[in-house]
Amino acid sequence: MAEVVLEVQDLKVEFDTYGGVIKAVRGVSFNAYKGKTLAIVGESGCGKSVSVQAVMGLIPVPPGRVTSGIVKLRGNNILGLSHSEMNKVRGKEIGMIFQDPMTSLNPTMTVGKQITETLSVHEGIGRGREAKKRAIDLLEKVHIPEAANRVRHYPFQFSGGMRQRVMIAMAIACKPSILIADEPTTALDVTIQAQILHLLKDLQRENEMSLILITHDLGVVAQMADEVNVMYAGRIIEFGPVDDIYYRSQHPYTIGLRAAMPSSEEGAKRKLQPIEGSPPDLFHPPIGCGYFDRCPYAMKICESNEPEPFLVGNNHYSRCWLHHQRSQTKLADFIKQDTKIYKNNEIMS
Amino acid sequence: MHFVPGDPISGNKAMSIEIRKNLEKKYGLDQPVLKQYLYFLGNMAQGDFGISFTQQNRSVNDIIESHFPVSAGLGILALIFATAGGVLWGTLAALYRGKVSDQLIMFGVILGISVPSFVFAALGQFLLTELNKYFGYTILPVAGWGSILHMLLPALVLGLGTMAFLTRLMRSSLLEVVNQDYIRTAKAKGLNSFRIFFAHELRNGILPVVTYLGPAIAFLTTGGFVVETVFAIPGLGRYFVQATQQLDYTVIMGLTVFYGAFLVGMVVLVDILYGFIDPRISLAKS
Ligand SMILES: Nc1ncnc2c1ncn2[C@@H]1O[C@H](COP(=O)(O)OP(=O)(O)OP(=O)(O)O)[C@@H](O)[C@H]1O
Ligand SMILES: [Mg+2]
Repeated sequence: MAEVVLEVQDLKVEFDTYGGVIKAVRGVSFNAYKGKTLAIVGESGCGKSVSVQAVMGLIPVPPGRVTSGIVKLRGNNILGLSHSEMNKVRGKEIGMIFQDPMTSLNPTMTVGKQITETLSVHEGIGRGREAKKRAIDLLEKVHIPEAANRVRHYPFQFSGGMRQRVMIAMAIACKPSILIADEPTTALDVTIQAQILHLLKDLQRENEMSLILITHDLGVVAQMADEVNVMYAGRIIEFGPVDDIYYRSQHPYTIGLRAAMPSSEEGAKRKLQPIEGSPPDLFHPPIGCGYFDRCPYAMKICESNEPEPFLVGNNHYSRCWLHHQRSQTKLADFIKQDTKIYKNNEIMS
Repeated sequence: MHFVPGDPISGNKAMSIEIRKNLEKKYGLDQPVLKQYLYFLGNMAQGDFGISFTQQNRSVNDIIESHFPVSAGLGILALIFATAGGVLWGTLAALYRGKVSDQLIMFGVILGISVPSFVFAALGQFLLTELNKYFGYTILPVAGWGSILHMLLPALVLGLGTMAFLTRLMRSSLLEVVNQDYIRTAKAKGLNSFRIFFAHELRNGILPVVTYLGPAIAFLTTGGFVVETVFAIPGLGRYFVQATQQLDYTVIMGLTVFYGAFLVGMVVLVDILYGFIDPRISLAKS
């Protein structure tokens, strides 16, 4: 296995709001490996962005608060570092790009300046010719045509896809060992999406970056990821290598997600099945399994007992009581259901 | 204006019919109003606003020339106070939002906006007199005109309302900017808060303030007559008020047109300036 660059253990984040305390992230652990892509998937509001923002120290305090956890960057805890120490990590060790390229760039500063800013903070390269050259190189690296001209332009002169490229150029300026991409393609149309993902893959290979990719799109996951975290209600409920998550998913939620996903293959006549209901209220997180209310296989134990991660395959974990020895019959039932979905899927292939 | 009962001439003491006739003839007041107006327009097109009806041998141009610089000087100084103060206080309030200092500043803003300037003027004069008395010499003159020292207090008083308004504008604008995505991007790049403030927040936060600067200049240079009166400053505002009271048609018309042109000029100037600050506005260069 490749080298671990980032290790997150038992991360918990809360927000104070008028309605009470939101427990947005409730004990998340994962590792990111050099040169590998870790995808984090899950529905809106499950805590994906908050988790990675906590890693970057970007949770606004107040109202936010990291109540527990360890974040190790190559073995050293970076959670709770002082502002100035954390500023040496951000942008240099960990780069980050955001969902909306339209609003994530400063409208009144040239893109060249926004890129060189990162360089000047971390490498002391000021304004001069060298900085400009580096900015042009970086723009070329992310395939912006006429980069030499473009450095002098402002964000409003770029299209959405180009702006996201600029964001990427900024994030990789100091060759970070980790790149966090929070839904980098959600705001873009499909062809641009493919280009951006391609670019990320190339850059990752070149710098042996560890990529943490947040997305809603299981198609993107299949294309990009080595390992996948499936998040639900502030927890990781299933984790495993991408193939296991796709073809041998074990948690009822993941299975539900897959059933709700359209497949592109021809002849797929299967009806999409939405997951009924909505995620639990994070003001009062359930004592038991977060998916209890919506789970078609829920058992009595699930209501008030939180399942631990069960090892269900090679490096594949699922937080579900069905995997406990004593619920074997239920599990058999469930697998039968599951295979039915697969059967449907296989008709087309 | 001509509907208002009375006319510029009847303001003076009783005069015989003949003198009156003569005067009317001299100033063209015996002509029909429409004709007078056309005449006025014709002159104005040549840059001549005519002569005053009530001040012997003074043309309106002359009045503007000798008194507008006074008002303009006062107004510009007031604007400098207002902008510097507004940006500074607004920034402080935004930085300490919700804290006591923010609340104090916002209390000051409400005072500054709602208390009329003659109250501040009188208060300022009072305080200054006491200070001068206390120290035994004149730190700043209390009224009158002449040196830059004379200008300081009236300019401050004149600028207070605008300063209060700009403080509020700056505060709300900064609070909005601070929550923008690009500020989060700047943090993610590892910039310290000092740099984020000066390179990213300030420039974007100040845009609404700049927009307001044009009307503010016009307002401060033309709207200072209360302050001018209290501090006995020979500015243009005084003449405007006087002319209105005496129905001095040419002066009223001339100053109104002049003020209007000045306002438009300042707004245009600020729009041009805006292009330098906000690249999205600048003229298409390519
Ligand atoms: N600044 C904040 N103040 C209060 N609550 C917040 C704040 N930021 C996030 N939350 C809450 O934390 C929870 C998780 O939010 P998060 O942004 O991580 O969701 P997400 O999984 O990234 O969703 P999406 O896919 O829509 O981006 C949400 O319930 C949200 O309301
Ligand atoms: Mg998100």
